[in-house]
Amino acid sequence: MIMSEQNTLDPDIIEEAAIALRTAAEKRSPIPPLRESLSGGGVAAAYAVQELNTRHALSSGRRLVGRKIGLTSRAVQKQLGVDQPDYGMLFADMDVPEGEPIGLGRVIQPKVEAEIAIVVGRDLLQPDLTIAELIRAVEYVVPAIEVVDSRIANWDIRILDTIADNASSGLFVLGAVPRKLDGLDLRACGMVMECRGEPVSVGAGVACLGSPISASLWLARVMAREGRPLLAGDVLLSGALGPMATVAAGDVVEARINGVGTVKAAFAS
Amino acid sequence: MSDLASLAEILDRAAHERVATPQLTHARPELTVEDAYEIQRLSIDRRLQRGERRVGVKMGLTSRAKMQQVGVDQMAWGRLTDKMLIEEGGSLALANFVHPRIEPEIAFLMSAPLAGRVTMAQALAAVAAVAPAMEVIDSRYENFKFALADVIADNSSSSGFVVGSWNDPHQDISNLGVILEIDGEVVEVGSSAAILGHPLRSLVAAARMVSEGGERIEAGDIVLAGGITAAPTLAKGQSIRTTVQNLGSVSIRVDA
Repeated sequence: MIMSEQNTLDPDIIEEAAIALRTAAEKRSPIPPLRESLSGGGVAAAYAVQELNTRHALSSGRRLVGRKIGLTSRAVQKQLGVDQPDYGMLFADMDVPEGEPIGLGRVIQPKVEAEIAIVVGRDLLQPDLTIAELIRAVEYVVPAIEVVDSRIANWDIRILDTIADNASSGLFVLGAVPRKLDGLDLRACGMVMECRGEPVSVGAGVACLGSPISASLWLARVMAREGRPLLAGDVLLSGALGPMATVAAGDVVEARINGVGTVKAAFAS
Repeated sequence: MSDLASLAEILDRAAHERVATPQLTHARPELTVEDAYEIQRLSIDRRLQRGERRVGVKMGLTSRAKMQQVGVDQMAWGRLTDKMLIEEGGSLALANFVHPRIEPEIAFLMSAPLAGRVTMAQALAAVAAVAPAMEVIDSRYENFKFALADVIADNSSSSGFVVGSWNDPHQDISNLGVILEIDGEVVEVGSSAAILGHPLRSLVAAARMVSEGGERIEAGDIVLAGGITAAPTLAKGQSIRTTVQNLGSVSIRVDA
């Protein structure tokens, strides 16, 4: 697996990139792509940048509450020229309670995606986790709207940019009605996302690496191997079920996932 | 032969002989939507005179994505005949088409006639069953390019359809996941919500639009509610399957 490889790039370059991303996030001021400077180290270098910022976040008191999976659709993978998903960290301060207006000042260039969030009920420590073990560990699922964001100007991203930038994560809104996994067909479930009442994205569970469960298994294994295993209570944003959509001030976005439920995100005007 | 009848003959011949024809609106930019529906009627009449039977209607351009893709801004309807029906699990012959594409659909089987302005409840009351389906669309125009009047005259590109098993229509069909697979590979993903937000809205629109054309949806008719995803081009040897959440799946093979 590529991300298990050690970064071979000069640590100064990694640190410089991490600081640039951190500053961009703090100042809400996007920066040019980083892929040129990271290209010598590949995906491992990009994850090293992300990891540096994860450590910085943890040491400054941010609480790790979950992970997100990115690049789960074949279309997006093709667009970025990759054949695997990526991941990023979710911190408690990225969680927006449903119904609370989202100030656009919190993000730089937000877009929204409809996803299924899985909340795990036990620690997933095995790098060879099986699908049966994962299904047993799912405590519940809720629909989610992920507000993705990029610290790279104009979303001009390739794989190295988005990995370094915490998988282009921003904020997330979880539905508040938990559902048990029992009997839910997460592969076939239809998804429609509306903005101001107009459909802006449709899809189904299969768009997410074949199934949100398969995507989650990939992530759980990688996290166990990378030493940041999913722990009981962690949230897992399993990946978009349809194309992402842009949002603007005053927009109200609602995602409906058949069998899983409905979730709404309102952007302050 | 009237002027519109001669245009109908051109399209009927293109479909019959499987040879693409230039857009009608290139030579006749003044053709209206009303003219186009009259050309469609005359063109399908020629098929009925050859012994084909009308078995239902299809709705087209029912999603915003589709309207944008083909550059038009309103829905269209077309007529289904028995000759267009492809057996479920059977095969279609590429030789019978010009440049066919396929798209996942939801099909309604009508238990009662439906005409004019109706509510969703009235529309549902006239539905006997709902099924997963696929429609073969095959524009008779060169390069699959057309203006709204062209596509309407061309029976809204409809060329073939296949219907899966029928289900009880008294269930929530507003947001069913839809998966189109070619040779086992997922190629398109969508939701029945892509059809105007709810497939029954398409049936309501069909009742009104067909009435405006002087006909009505009859008991026993099949109504195709509209394409749900982009429509991939068909190629020889493909095995194609559409699965619709809670409704089941429908398959065909593509022969030379």
